[in-house]
Amino acid sequence: MTMPLRPSDLARCFQGVTPSLIVTVDGRGMPNITYVSQVYYVDEQHVALSCQFFNKTRRNLDENPRAAVEMYDPLTMQAYRLRLTFIRSEKKGPLFDTMSARIEAIASATGMKGIFRLIAADVFDVRSVEKVEGFLNDEQPEVEADAPTLTGYRSEVRGLQWVSERIARACDLESLLEAALQSLEEYFQFSHTSVLLYDESSARLTTLASRGYGKRGIGAEVPIGQGLIGSAARDRQVLRFSSLDADLAYGRAIRREAAGDQTCEDIPLPGLPDARSVLVIPLLLSDRLVGVLSAESRDPMRFGEWHEAYLQIIGNQIAFAIDRMVERASAEHEPPSPAGARPVVSPASRAKTNEAPVAPGARTRTLTYYRKDDAIFVDGEYLIRNIPARILWKLLAESKRTGRTEFTNREVRLDESLGLPPVKDNFESRLILLRHRLQEKCPDLQIVSTGRGRFALQTDASIEMIER
Amino acid sequence: MNERLQKCVEPGVSVIVGSVDAAGNPACCRAVGLRTTNDLATVTVFVPMATSHETIANVAATRRLAVVTTHPISHCATQLKGTVETTRPAREDEEAFIDQHFASFGGVLNAIGYPPRLTKSVVQWPAFALEMRVEEIYEQSPGPKAGTRLR
Repeated sequence: MTMPLRPSDLARCFQGVTPSLIVTVDGRGMPNITYVSQVYYVDEQHVALSCQFFNKTRRNLDENPRAAVEMYDPLTMQAYRLRLTFIRSEKKGPLFDTMSARIEAIASATGMKGIFRLIAADVFDVRSVEKVEGFLNDEQPEVEADAPTLTGYRSEVRGLQWVSERIARACDLESLLEAALQSLEEYFQFSHTSVLLYDESSARLTTLASRGYGKRGIGAEVPIGQGLIGSAARDRQVLRFSSLDADLAYGRAIRREAAGDQTCEDIPLPGLPDARSVLVIPLLLSDRLVGVLSAESRDPMRFGEWHEAYLQIIGNQIAFAIDRMVERASAEHEPPSPAGARPVVSPASRAKTNEAPVAPGARTRTLTYYRKDDAIFVDGEYLIRNIPARILWKLLAESKRTGRTEFTNREVRLDESLGLPPVKDNFESRLILLRHRLQEKCPDLQIVSTGRGRFALQTDASIEMIER
Repeated sequence: MNERLQKCVEPGVSVIVGSVDAAGNPACCRAVGLRTTNDLATVTVFVPMATSHETIANVAATRRLAVVTTHPISHCATQLKGTVETTRPAREDEEAFIDQHFASFGGVLNAIGYPPRLTKSVVQWPAFALEMRVEEIYEQSPGPKAGTRLR
């Protein structure tokens, strides 16, 4: 006996955690059966399959459009059968773009770029959906309901309101990103998250905030189009993987292993080596990419459709807030530095006077700027590169030359030699990155905010500068 | 049976079957065991009685059957196609084989993250035995050789 259902009743089956079966029949009446990694829900009357190769299943559908699919609930193993009729192949449009983005992201993350690609999204009419009665014995495991209860929805709306308030109250970019990730953990229990900001001039995303990975990873870069994050950014598409397949997990593991052999300039991207689910949300304003919000988990079923919807709303707010802060920083008229000539000083001596020299016998840190690589190393260890490196070098040189330690954002961003873009220069984010990298690699030298649009260099050490 | 074909009956493989009715409508069913005693000239596929009504009806009408065995970790997959010559209830002496086969499959699934309680909840007995004369064998492992005829 079977029970008629709608495709939306099988939400967990559509997450692609457990492969589905599909049977087709060729022109001579011989069946063909194979696994498909994911059946895509389109609407209550349609599902789609990815056509990556013109295989036997695809050829059979041209000869006989009828197909049978068996899907499994990954939490209970309950089986469901769908009777389908193939109606069309879509080679462009929103469905194709969504499916293609997913496939290309996996291909990119596993080093199979250009080999795995979507040829078409094959769309089927759903003639019937049935639960396979008798598939499981009576000792079925109990599982929690998939969707939040009404109380849950209310609670999530409150959560959204709370996160939204924290984002709105943030007074600078750093506190904005920290507040966003902290509230995602506190209210949604997303404990491994990161935000990457997009730099149009280098076509790269840079990790500016992360949570759940310790201090590691700030400054890690992802080229547009590379891996899951780079692919989501390039395609402006949300990517949600409910169960990273073995190939992807393997590919990620290999990349991490290989990272140990790379040059010291590479900062490993923050990530769980054994993540089973990932949600990557591009932060967009209209079609303009601001950055990417990424969340991952060891639970293969961690992110559902409603998480995607909520994170998209939060992502929109973060994107808007980032843009607002960048705009404000660009437009602000900042007073010239009142600081005058002051040398780089130790915090202890600064308490008494801003002009005290570095204490005798203080530790010496050697900073080397490699012009060819546009990178700074501290005591032989990679610190930072590109524009943030140029900013630091300018500040150190200026301090050494004039004795100044206090600067304004405005005067630095007006320095054409730094190569900042004339519009949306992301100066704040570059300063945050520089501050984090110094905290991690050279805590003797710090950049400290001294008021809106102002900051100071502080050090406990004697700084030696070498340029090569 | 060569080394490659031996893989399709190794412990831990999943077994699925596809059938078709007289009007060309396909149907699928998860099987709970597969065995051969003559190097794949014929195979006996076991399907649970509880979930195979459609498969049994289709086989009665057309006798055509496709069987795929896949190892969930290596993804080594083989498709056997042929004609079902006999359909009968599985004998009591075959129950131990089915138990053993399904336990191996559950063990492999456990290794990739499916808890044993899930596979243990799948009904496997009583079962029908479908005795099929194998006419075509195809490589179905992912990759450039997928679809290649092996026999």
